Amino acid sequence: MAIIAISRGTMSGGLAVAECLADRLGYPCVGREVLQAAATTLGASEETVRRKLQTPPGPWDLMTRERHAYVVAVQAALAARCVQGRLVYHGLAGQLLLRDVPGVLRVRLIAPLAMRVQAVLSRHARTSPSAAERFIRSVDRQRRRWVRRLYDVDINDTSLYELTINLESLTLDTACVMIGELARQPHYEVTAETRTRLEAFAAECDRRVAEVIGQRPGGRAAENGA
Amino acid sequence: MAIVSVCRGTRSGGQAFAECLADQLGYPVVGREILQAAASDLGVSEAGLTQQFERAPRRWDRQTATRRVYVVGLQAALAEHVAAGNLVYHGLAGQFLLRGLPAVLRTRLVAPLAARVRVLVEHEGMTPDAAERHIREVDAGRARWVKMMYGEHIEDPALYDVVINLATMSIDAACALTAATLEQPEFAVTDERRATLENFRLACRVKRALVIDPDTRGLPLEAVAHAGVVEVSGSAPLLSTGETGDRIAEISRAVSGVKQVRLRLEWFDPYP
Repeated sequence: MAIIAISRGTMSGGLAVAECLADRLGYPCVGREVLQAAATTLGASEETVRRKLQTPPGPWDLMTRERHAYVVAVQAALAARCVQGRLVYHGLAGQLLLRDVPGVLRVRLIAPLAMRVQAVLSRHARTSPSAAERFIRSVDRQRRRWVRRLYDVDINDTSLYELTINLESLTLDTACVMIGELARQPHYEVTAETRTRLEAFAAECDRRVAEVIGQRPGGRAAENGA
Repeated sequence: MAIVSVCRGTRSGGQAFAECLADQLGYPVVGREILQAAASDLGVSEAGLTQQFERAPRRWDRQTATRRVYVVGLQAALAEHVAAGNLVYHGLAGQFLLRGLPAVLRTRLVAPLAARVRVLVEHEGMTPDAAERHIREVDAGRARWVKMMYGEHIEDPALYDVVINLATMSIDAACALTAATLEQPEFAVTDERRATLENFRLACRVKRALVIDPDTRGLPLEAVAHAGVVEVSGSAPLLSTGETGDRIAEISRAVSGVKQVRLRLEWFDPYP
């Protein structure tokens, strides 16, 4: 059993690799479900949570630590899913949200811009290539700035990941085989000790969620919140 | 059939990884031998050749294209090994020298600075400060070289098929991962791939012959080969004797395996 966090640029084939891998290993595969859970906890929309995890924080966020609340809620939702010890996560910022968790296999997928533009066009036939390129560059830039502001690291730094796979020359199936092979290595095996630490991590995340909700104006949270 | 090129910073475990992989796959492994072969071909010392690849070109080098001569020499020495199809190469600039070839897995290894410093301290008896300085100097020199020769950033992951981080991964795990990758269809043996590697070797032999010969050494010439037919392109001086083209064709034809030579040269006036 292992926990695998897949990071990638938008439209880089991450979802397909994550699904292939989850299928191969028999693990649950989650992405936006974590955002939905965080949104429920905070009584916000999924779109708001997504925006808070993609766009760099502004002065208001920095003054009020508003952004912090969203990050904590997403981290708690993700931690809750990690406790089982088997997971493929292909959502936002997995490599950073789980950076204190031992044994997480962090993977980055990259693909050339032309391939990603093609992926946008195949999904949105009425989009022009230049608009698709602008969209990709804009999302990349925002994510890069978000990571820089919140964690002071470069999202493209290969030392943040165990493995960086270039999908320009390697197929999705090959990427899936590579990650699957690595996940079998002892270092990424979720042991009883790791599981104890995962539970402690999840409990700590829940405590922090309760704290940030308590600090928000009116302690606002949904009925089924933390 | 596959060729694995291993790029890494100094003391990042590249040689151990290459040897482990070669052992597991039963492939030959080459690194320094390529430099020795190239140095012998070009009539220079191995140390001199290494320096050409580890330090950024100076202004004069760039003007005289001296570095290009060494790149061609190294590529030709590597091509002789590549043509056999199975190879682990852990020498310099593999990601560039083998660019565009099929069935090549371009890997880069990264390792934390502290681990690299520890290797130097334990094996070379250096102080931690001196070891760190040495690593930073070598890394910076290689990065400048790549930037100047190819206009690329050596750490750009897009230059590689896979980047492996040895911070948490053992050499054995990296080796098993790479071996599993090479079993995928992208690296299967096909006649077409064999032919491409053979063509690459022939083109490299022609380029080497052209940089070794004093009559054509300074000329920016490229060669591509297909089934024994070699096309030489680039620019050459238009001399009143009209001998340059003939000389290029003659040198190319003399290379073993060349059946026919085609020239696609752009002429320039050397005395404008």
